[in-house]
Amino acid sequence: MNSLFSLIPLVVFFPLLGMLINIFFGRMLMADENSKAPGVIASLMAGLSFVIAVLMFVALLGEPEGVEVPFMTWFSISAGSRTLSIPWTFKVDTLSSVMMLVVTGVGTLIHIYAIGYMHGDIDEQASKRGLSSDEAFDLKRRRFPRFFAYFNLFLASMLILVTGSNYLVMFVGWELVGLCSYLLIGFWFDDPIVGIYNSMAGRKAFVVNRIGDFGMVMALMLIFWTFGTLQFDDVFARAECMRTASQFECLAVDAAQMVETSPNFSLMFGFGLLQPISFGAITLSFQTVMIAITLLLLLGATGKSAQIPLFVWLPDAMAGPMPVSALIHAATMVTAGIYMITRSNVLYAMAPFSADTVAIIGAATALVAATIAVAQFDIKRVLAYSTISQLGFMIAAVGLGGYVAGIFHLATHAFFKALLFLSAGSVIHGIEHGHHATAHKGHGDHAFDPQDMRNMGGLRKHMPTTIVVYIVGALALAGIPPLAGFWSKDEILLDASKHDPLIYILLTIAAFFTAFYMGRQVWMVFFGQPRTEAAAHAHESPPVMTTPLIILAVLASIGGLMNLPFGRLHFLAEWLRESVAYAHVPAAGEGFSITVAVISTVLALAAIALSYIIYGTKPLQEGQADPLRVAGPLFTFLNRKWYWDEAYEAVFIRPFKCLANWLAFTIDWRFWHDFVHDSVIIQFFDGWAAILSRPVDMGIVDGAVNGIGRLVAGASSRLRRTQTGYVRNYALAVALGVVAIVAYLLIRFFAN
Amino acid sequence: MQLPILESINLMAVLPVLIIAGWACVLLVFDLLIPRSRKHWTAWLALVGLLGAAVALFFQIGHFARLGSEAAFDGMVTVDGFSIFLQVVFVLTAIVGVLLALDYLPRHGIERGEYYVLLLFTTIGMMIMSMAADLIVVFVALELLSIPLYILSGFAGMRETSEEAALKYFLLGAFASSFLVYGIALTYGGTGTTRLTGIAQAVTSDALNLPLTTVGMGLLLVGLGFKVAAVPFHMWTPDVYQGAPTPVTAFMSVGAKAGGFAALIRVLVTAFPAIASEWGTLIAVIAGLTMLLGNIVAISQSNIKRMLAYSSIAHAGYILLAVAAAQRSENASFAIGAVVFYLLAYALTNLGAFTVAIAVERDDGTGTEIDDFAGLGKTRPWMALAMALFMLSLTGMPISGGLVGKVFVFQAALQAVPGDPLLLAVVIIGVLTSVVSAFYYLKVIMVMYMREGEGKAVLPLALKTVLAATAFGTLVLGIIPGPVFQMAQRAMLK
Amino acid sequence: MIGYILFGLVALVAIVSAVGMLLSTNAIHAALFLVINLICIALFYLGLNAPFLAMVQITVYAGAIMVLFLFVIMLLGAEQVTLKSQLKWQAPLAIVLAVVMIAATFLLFFNVQASGGLSPLAPISEDPRQTETFGSPYAVGEVLFGAYLLPFEMTGVLLLVAMIGAIILTRNEAGGMRDEQRAASNE
Repeated sequence: MNSLFSLIPLVVFFPLLGMLINIFFGRMLMADENSKAPGVIASLMAGLSFVIAVLMFVALLGEPEGVEVPFMTWFSISAGSRTLSIPWTFKVDTLSSVMMLVVTGVGTLIHIYAIGYMHGDIDEQASKRGLSSDEAFDLKRRRFPRFFAYFNLFLASMLILVTGSNYLVMFVGWELVGLCSYLLIGFWFDDPIVGIYNSMAGRKAFVVNRIGDFGMVMALMLIFWTFGTLQFDDVFARAECMRTASQFECLAVDAAQMVETSPNFSLMFGFGLLQPISFGAITLSFQTVMIAITLLLLLGATGKSAQIPLFVWLPDAMAGPMPVSALIHAATMVTAGIYMITRSNVLYAMAPFSADTVAIIGAATALVAATIAVAQFDIKRVLAYSTISQLGFMIAAVGLGGYVAGIFHLATHAFFKALLFLSAGSVIHGIEHGHHATAHKGHGDHAFDPQDMRNMGGLRKHMPTTIVVYIVGALALAGIPPLAGFWSKDEILLDASKHDPLIYILLTIAAFFTAFYMGRQVWMVFFGQPRTEAAAHAHESPPVMTTPLIILAVLASIGGLMNLPFGRLHFLAEWLRESVAYAHVPAAGEGFSITVAVISTVLALAAIALSYIIYGTKPLQEGQADPLRVAGPLFTFLNRKWYWDEAYEAVFIRPFKCLANWLAFTIDWRFWHDFVHDSVIIQFFDGWAAILSRPVDMGIVDGAVNGIGRLVAGASSRLRRTQTGYVRNYALAVALGVVAIVAYLLIRFFAN
Repeated sequence: MQLPILESINLMAVLPVLIIAGWACVLLVFDLLIPRSRKHWTAWLALVGLLGAAVALFFQIGHFARLGSEAAFDGMVTVDGFSIFLQVVFVLTAIVGVLLALDYLPRHGIERGEYYVLLLFTTIGMMIMSMAADLIVVFVALELLSIPLYILSGFAGMRETSEEAALKYFLLGAFASSFLVYGIALTYGGTGTTRLTGIAQAVTSDALNLPLTTVGMGLLLVGLGFKVAAVPFHMWTPDVYQGAPTPVTAFMSVGAKAGGFAALIRVLVTAFPAIASEWGTLIAVIAGLTMLLGNIVAISQSNIKRMLAYSSIAHAGYILLAVAAAQRSENASFAIGAVVFYLLAYALTNLGAFTVAIAVERDDGTGTEIDDFAGLGKTRPWMALAMALFMLSLTGMPISGGLVGKVFVFQAALQAVPGDPLLLAVVIIGVLTSVVSAFYYLKVIMVMYMREGEGKAVLPLALKTVLAATAFGTLVLGIIPGPVFQMAQRAMLK
Repeated sequence: MIGYILFGLVALVAIVSAVGMLLSTNAIHAALFLVINLICIALFYLGLNAPFLAMVQITVYAGAIMVLFLFVIMLLGAEQVTLKSQLKWQAPLAIVLAVVMIAATFLLFFNVQASGGLSPLAPISEDPRQTETFGSPYAVGEVLFGAYLLPFEMTGVLLLVAMIGAIILTRNEAGGMRDEQRAASNE
C-alpha cells in the first residue's frame, strides 16, 4: 500500500480542525470589522483537504484498485466468540476519490467566495435590523465565524460520507450533512422580516429528509439482516455469492471470517444465521429482499437528492445564504444520493425492477422540475429547480446503469451549478448594493426583493465579469458544445437512447426546457433596460468573489476533458471501472453517437433561440407581465410548481393535522379527560368516597404511577432513617453483614 | 535463604508507583521551604510528579500490550494490562484531585501542602491495590489507600462535620479491615499461603480445608465491600462524603472505589475461581441490595453531596453486578472489561459532577444543597449543560459513557445467566433501579433550568479545565466507546 | 498434654481479659486488661516457638503503646467513661450477632478438623515447618527484607502517613489560630 494513503484521515480532520478553531477562537480572530481571519482559516482548511484529495488521486494512479485505511473501531461488542464491530475505515478508491476531489475542490472555491459574500450579507442584515456600528460589529463577530464553523463541519461530514467504508459510517455522514444543511438554511433564523420563513424552510428540509432517512435506516437494517455485515465490500461479495448460491452456503463459507471481522446479527436479534433469507417467521426470496433493500435506499436518495416525491424541500432551502445554496444544495450534498446508488451498484444490478424505478423517477423529476423552472421569477428558485432537474438526469443515468455518465454529470454539474449560484449571488449582492445606494436617497421600500428577476435587467453594463461567467455557466448547463455540460449530458442521453427510449425522450424534452429557462434567465437579468433603480445602480462584486467565479468558469468550460467519449480519452470511465463493478464502459467507437449529440445540440440551440425571441427581442419593461402568461392557467400551474406543496398539504398534512387534532381534542381531551377522567373516574371516585375514607381517594385519582412513586419515596424516607449517624449502628450493620455472609457460606457448605 | 536480587524485584515494572512515592517524599520536604502564601506551588509540583508517572505509564502501555504481564518484588505484585488501565484511571483521578483542590483549599482557609502529599500517597495505595498478587500486599495497600483518606476527610478540621467524617471513616474502616485480616488468616489457615496463585492451586487440590478458605473469602469480601461501599457495609458513605472537603469526596468517591474493585476482581478471579459460584451468588445478592438501597434512598436527599454519596453506592451495585458475572470463566474477560470500562466512565462523570458541586459550594462549606443549583441554567449555561450531561450519564441516557457502561454491565450479567439464574433477577433490579435513579438525577437538571435562583458559582480556570475534560471524556466514551472498550477488554488479568 | 493445658489456661485468661476490657467502665482498668490480653498473645507466640515475636509483642504493644494509652487517658482525665446508650436494642442485637459468629466459627473449625483437614490444635512439635531457626530474629529479618520487601516498605510509608496525619489533625485548629494571630500582629 502506498504510504500516501495513510494520510486519508486528514481529509476529514482538516475541516474539523477549522471548525473547532472557528468555534472556540472565532470571536478572537475577528479583530476588527473587516477581519477575514475566520474565513481564511476555513478556506485554508478546505484547501488542505483538497491537497489531501489530490494526493489520494496521485496515490490511486499507482494502485487504482483502491485501499481501505483502518482508522479506528467505532464500536465493537463481543460476546464469547461472536463480535459485532463497526470500524471507521476510510475507503479510498476511484469513486470516492472523484467525490473527494469534487467536494473539496468546489468546496474550497466556495469557501473563498463566501468570505466576501458573508461580509456583505452580515452588513445587509445589520442594516436591516438598524443596528449601531458596535452592535453590527458584535453581530459580525458572532455570525461570521459561526458560518464558517458550520461550513467546515459540512465539508468534514460530506467527506465522512464519501470515504466511509460501510453503510453505517456513510449514514453518519448522511445525517451530519443533513444537520449542516438544516443549520445553514436557517442561518438567518432571526432575520427581522423573513427569519421565521428561513427557520420554517430549515425545518421543512429536515422533516422531509427524515422521511428519506427512514428509508435509509430500514435499508441498512435489511442489509444487515440479510448479509450480516455493513461493510461495503463484504455486502457486495456476499450479494454476488447469493445470486447463485443460497444464503446458507454464502454465509457459511466465510463464517469463520465473519466471526473474526464482522457483526453476527444473531447476537443482536437471536435469529439463526444459517437459514434462507428469513426474518423470524417470514422467509423471502433473494430477489424480493434485494428489491426491498434497493427501493428503500432509493427512498433515502429521493430525500437527500431532492427527487420526486421528496424534492419539495430543496426550493425552500434557497432561504440559506448563497454560498450554502451553491455548495450544499447544488454541488455536493444533494449528490449524496447519486453517490450512494453508485456505491450500491452491485445491489441495483441484482434488482432490475428497482433500477428501472430509479431511472423513471430520475427522468420524471428531470422533466417536471425543468418545466417548473420555466415559470419562476426568483433567480435562485430557477436555479433550484434546475438543480433538481439535473439531479434527475443523474439519477436517471445511474438507474440505467450508466454510473460513469451519472458521476461525470455530477462532477460537471458541480462546476457549472456552483458557478451559476455564485454568480447569481454576485448579482444579488450587486442589486442589494444598488438598492442601498438608492434607498438612501429615499427610494427604498422594504418589500423590495433583490432576488426577483423582474427587478433586474440590463446588468451587463454594471457587472462585466459576472455576465461572462454567468453565460459560460448557462451554456454549459444548456448543453452547448464544447462546454462541460454538453459532454456529460450527452453521455447520459446516449445511455438512455441505448437502453430505454421512454427515458431518452423524457430527458431530451427536459434538456430542451433547460436551455429555454436558462436563456430566459440570462435575457431577463442581464439584457434590456434596468427595471428598477436598484438594478440601475448595481455594481460588480469584489475580487475575492469574482476570482472563484473565474476559476469555476474555466472548469465549467473544460471539465468535459475528463471524459471525452473518444477512444482512450474516456478517462473517467476507465477510472471508475476499478471501483464500480457494473459501470458501463462502452467499447471503442460506441461511446459517442453523432445522432444523439446533434439532436440535443439542435434542440438546445432552438430553445435558446426561442427564449431570445420571447425575451431578447422585446426586453421586459418595468411592471410588464411575463410574456409566457399567455399560456394562462398552464403558466400558473407551472409557477405554482404543479401544486406539489398544495397537494402534500391536502393529502398528508391536513389529514395528519386533523387526525392529531382529533386525537388531542376528541380522544384525549373530550373522551379521556372530560369523559373518562372527569365523569367516569371522578364519579366513581365520588361514589366510593362516600363509603371509603379520605386517604383511599387520593390513591385512585393519582393512579398507579404516583402510587408507586410515593411507595418508593416512602421507602426512601424510611430507609433514610436507618442512617442515624451513630458509628455503633453502622458497625452493627457491618457485623450483621458479616454474620449473614458467614452463615450463608456455612449453610451452603454443610447443606450438601 | 538469599535476599532477592534486583532482577526479581523488577523495579521498572512498578516505575510509576516509584515515581509517585519518591516524589511524595521529596515534596514533603519541599513543602517546608514553600512559604505559606505560595502553597499552590506544592500543588503544581504534585502535578509534575503525577504527570511523570503518567508518562511512565504511557510507555508501559505499549510494553505490556506486547508482553502480557510481569511479576515484580518476587511475585508480590503482577503488572498487566488490567493494572495498567486502572493505574491510568488512578493517576488521572489524582490529577483531577489536585486541580479541584487548587482553588478550593485557599477559599476555605485550609490550604496546606500536606494535602497534596497525602493525595500522592493514597494514589500509591490504589495503584498497588490494582497489581497486588498477594493477600498481604492487598491488606497493606488497602491501608495505604485508606489512612491518607481518613486524614484528608478531616482536613477541614475547623468544621465539625469534617472531623466527624474523619473519625467515623477511621473507626469503621478499622473495623472492616479487621475482618479483612481475619479473612486473610482463615485463607492462610486453609491453604497455607497468601499468594493468590498459590491459593488457587490449594483450593483445587485440598478439599478438606475448603470451608476455611471459603469463609476466609467471605470475610475478604467484607473488607473490600466496605471500600467500595456495598450494602450493608455502606453506611459510612453519606456521612463521610458530606463531611469531607468536597475535592476529597470527589477523589475518594472515584479512587477508593476503583481501588476496592481492582483488588476485589483480582482476588476473586485469580485466587478463588474454584469457588466462583459461592462468591458469584454472594456478590449478586449484594449487588441487588446495593442498587436497591442506593437508588431508593438517594431520592429523599436534598444535599448534593449526600445524593452523590448514595448515587455512588448505587453505582457500586452496578459494578458488582459485572463482578458477579465474572464467575463464569467463559465470559470473565468481557465482565472484567465491563467493570473497568464502567469504572472509567463513572470516574469521568462523577468527577465532573463533583467539580460542579465544588463550583457551587460557598466558602463556608454551605451551598451544597440541591436547591443551590437553582438558576444555574441561566447564569452559567455551559456549566449547567455539562452538569446535565453528567446527570444524564449517571442515569444512563444515550450519548454518554454511563449508558455504554450500563449496557456492557448488563450484557456481561446476561451472558452469565446460564451459570447463575439469580443474575437475571439482579439484572431486572438493575434496570428498574436505573429508571428510579432518573428521578433524582433529573431533579438536579430540573432545578438548574426550571427554578429561579441566584445561580452563583465560582469557576476558576482549573475547574473549567476539569469540567471540559470530563465532559469531553464522558461524551467520547458515549459516542465512540469502541477503542476504550477494546483496551478495557484487553486489560485482562494475565 | 501439658501443652494443651497451658494453652487452655492462657486462652482462658486472654478471653476473660478481653471481656473485662469491654465491660469495665474505668478506662484505666480497661487499658490494664488490654495489657493482660496482649501478654497472653505474646505467650501464644512463645508457645508457637517464636520467641522473637513474643518479645516484640511485649515491648512494643504491652510496653510502649500501652504506656502511651495510659498517658493520654490520664492527660485527658477520661478515666471514667460514661456509657449511656440511647439505643436500647443495640446491645442485645450485638450480643446475638456475636454469639452467632462464635458459634459459626466453632462449627467451622470443628467441622474441618473432624473431616481430617488442617488441625488447628495439633502439637507444635509435629509441624513440619518447624526448623531450628524458625522465628529467630535472623529468619524474621530475612523474610521481611526478602519475600516481603514490598509490604515492608509500604508499611514504612504507612507509618510516615500516619505521622503526617497525627500532626495535621491535632495542629489543625491551634495552627490556624496561631496564623491568624500572627497575621493580626503583623498588621
